[in-house]
Amino acid sequence: MPAAILEGVRVLELADGVAGPFCAKLLAEYGAEVVKIERPGVDSMSERQWAGQRAASPSSAEDAAFFLPLNADKKSVALDLESETGQATFRNLAANSNVVVESLRPGHMGSLGIGYHDLRDRTPGLVMTSVTPFGQTGPYRDYQYTELTVFAMGGGMAREGVPSRHPLMYGGEIAGYFSGTAAAAATVAACVGALMTGQGDWIDISIMECMAGHPHQIGRRAPFAYNGELDTRQETRGLTGGERERYAVGTFRCKDGHMSFLPLGARMWPNIARMIGKPELTQDSRFVNPEDRVTNQAELEAIFQEWLDRHTRSEIFQATQDEGIPGGPVLTPPEIMADEHFIDRRFFRQVAHPDYGTLTYPGQPFKLSDAPEIGATAAPALGEHTEAVLSEVLGMKGAEIAGLRSRGAI
Amino acid sequence: MRPLAGIRALELAEIWAGPFCGSLLGDMGAEVVKVESVQRIARGPIRPRPGSPGYPDGEPGERPWNRVANFNAINRNKMAVTLDLTRPEGVDVFLDLVAASDVVVCNYSFGVMEKFGLGYDALRQAKPDVIVVFMPGYGNTGPYKGVRSMGMSIDAISGHSALRGYQDLDLSRLSPVHHPDAVGGVTAAFAICTAIHQRLRSGKSQFIDISQSEAFIPHLGEAFLEYELTGNTRQRRGNRHPAMAPHGAYPCEGEDAWVAIAVRTDSEWRALCEAIGDPRLTDDRFATLEGRLRRHDEIDDALGRWTSQHDRQRVTELVQARGIPAGPVLDCCAGTYDDPHLQERDYFKTIDHPDAGTYLLSGPIWQLHSESEPRHEPAPGLGQHNDYVLGEVLGITRERLDSLERDNVIGTEPLEGADMGGVRRANRAAGGS
Repeated sequence: MPAAILEGVRVLELADGVAGPFCAKLLAEYGAEVVKIERPGVDSMSERQWAGQRAASPSSAEDAAFFLPLNADKKSVALDLESETGQATFRNLAANSNVVVESLRPGHMGSLGIGYHDLRDRTPGLVMTSVTPFGQTGPYRDYQYTELTVFAMGGGMAREGVPSRHPLMYGGEIAGYFSGTAAAAATVAACVGALMTGQGDWIDISIMECMAGHPHQIGRRAPFAYNGELDTRQETRGLTGGERERYAVGTFRCKDGHMSFLPLGARMWPNIARMIGKPELTQDSRFVNPEDRVTNQAELEAIFQEWLDRHTRSEIFQATQDEGIPGGPVLTPPEIMADEHFIDRRFFRQVAHPDYGTLTYPGQPFKLSDAPEIGATAAPALGEHTEAVLSEVLGMKGAEIAGLRSRGAI
Repeated sequence: MRPLAGIRALELAEIWAGPFCGSLLGDMGAEVVKVESVQRIARGPIRPRPGSPGYPDGEPGERPWNRVANFNAINRNKMAVTLDLTRPEGVDVFLDLVAASDVVVCNYSFGVMEKFGLGYDALRQAKPDVIVVFMPGYGNTGPYKGVRSMGMSIDAISGHSALRGYQDLDLSRLSPVHHPDAVGGVTAAFAICTAIHQRLRSGKSQFIDISQSEAFIPHLGEAFLEYELTGNTRQRRGNRHPAMAPHGAYPCEGEDAWVAIAVRTDSEWRALCEAIGDPRLTDDRFATLEGRLRRHDEIDDALGRWTSQHDRQRVTELVQARGIPAGPVLDCCAGTYDDPHLQERDYFKTIDHPDAGTYLLSGPIWQLHSESEPRHEPAPGLGQHNDYVLGEVLGITRERLDSLERDNVIGTEPLEGADMGGVRRANRAAGGS
């Protein structure tokens, strides 16, 4: 049986919100031992997820929906980091770990005596990944944030939406998850460096910079750098002239929902005509030349929409495949979980939780040819592994652990 | 020393997802070699019209393929060679290059590499512990493996499109989105690092199968679990939030200027009201989250009247001063360039590109404590590193390089009539011209 790819890597997580916990979850999913360090005495999932930063959601399912998948495959240790005993225990754990992922207010780790420099002196190969909204330096360092505000500041929002209305955020904690993935990549890269040289590193991840450095944005920033070409919200469908002609770009209503299309340029016009069963349109005098198709755009759209209205997403998806046109149906979670493709790839996985029962969770973001399938374990209860971790990692005896407990450190 | 120093990665990739992965590995110190050909140019049109957008000073110039803004932005910190992989001479050189490398990352459509005779088995024969990533939109197995995809279709099929957009507008008004490309690229970089880490310990090769869709779905995990927990399918929320109100983008002084504000608790709401000083807002009906959610439109109007009297930076300062999340809606152009925080963190760097001149390059998405300065090398020109990679690294003689160039197996200029990317092949596949 081959070993899990990150087996033997121990990670301490001291993080709330989405980005930090998601970073550590990605490591856990590939076999790292992730120990989530939590505050003792906090029991609601809302508190554990958001550290009191926001009010509990009106529906407790909303908070559990975040917490359960973000913390599956992890262990939980409840440790009071305000106490000196708790801090010493954390330093000892870090000395036996490869990675610390943290999302505390910049400078806070240092003020607790568990900052990068405190830990590195004992463990030069340690990788510490700090995932914060604005990074460890700079004028916004201490700003409050939510997904909405940091997404806006990173440049993601300005071009989402239509010109006549307010700009929009994406459909979830997208900046948080994206930054968490970037943090995981940087963390393991630094672990590679530590294996090769014995020297770890401190990685400063700013969610704002992750969004600002997103390919979507740097690709559009460059024309501005070259020429001052601006990029703003725009109406997104239809047809533009010349070599940039793009027809049937965007999301379109059809018989049972919506379909997304992105044909690649003007040369796909014959494919589109064939797809809608009207190959003769390419000979139609109204539509022969690109300029004609621009002039008669409304007629063309009407013909296209008439075909869409008569067909379902699955029929249209098949038609796009027959013509080699990139396109996809707009699906909802239950539709995706029931989709033959994801079933065939065994993407979703079943996870049993003592309180919430067995539910279907999204699976691993990539598959390896030579690695075991790791059975998923549910998100831990608060402090579920405190004793096990202290005895296995630090070799502490029952009496010592009881001593810590009586002092309220765990 | 950067953490991936000494790792060589070959990138066979177009558009965004694969090239982004290559740049991230380059940021970390890997020697990344982008493999292109003079027969197929995916950088942009070969002879665009003068004055076309997206070129320095609006001029495509003599070598437009080296001056494309979009390409140059996304291909930092890598080298570029050309090789015609449709011919045995090109394949032979490529396999020699694989033997001298650690990683091959490819985001071509499913099956393209096999057609070149460069599937995983062939690559592993050349280099027994090679790490290979193939990342078509929907992965390398399953009914959709051969389906052509782009960011928008992956967004739709992964569940994100149904969650985006204004609550009161039809989904047909959705903005185009390419976020799945970014997720695919960064996930590939993560996957490669895990495999390198394991290889250092075990000597193992890996084939990594990335479905860009499956890389993205976990980013929407709560929508899936919410359905599992409640049986309800999450609806679009626009800028609204079930546990925070007000929560939205508000107009500011200036054209298309906005500020984002999120009020997380009742006490934050009271503090915001103090800052605004509008008696209409200090009303008991707005005191609780429930009340504010119910009257969100009324609050939006009043809040918008206040924000529109100030510029977005000023509103941000006033609201943040009371410990409430707020931030300017910055565009990806002047907004981010001029932002004092990004400037203070040296996020942008002025660089010189031999064909495109001097411009500001966007920074990496992480900063390393060990690094005095992030790596900032301009995007490579077509075939710019043929001599170094093929000559110095592989030891191919000058004479042989000249002969490969005469035969157009390598080169630095597109051939007349070169393919411009996936379009022509798609037409052929569909039985078209």
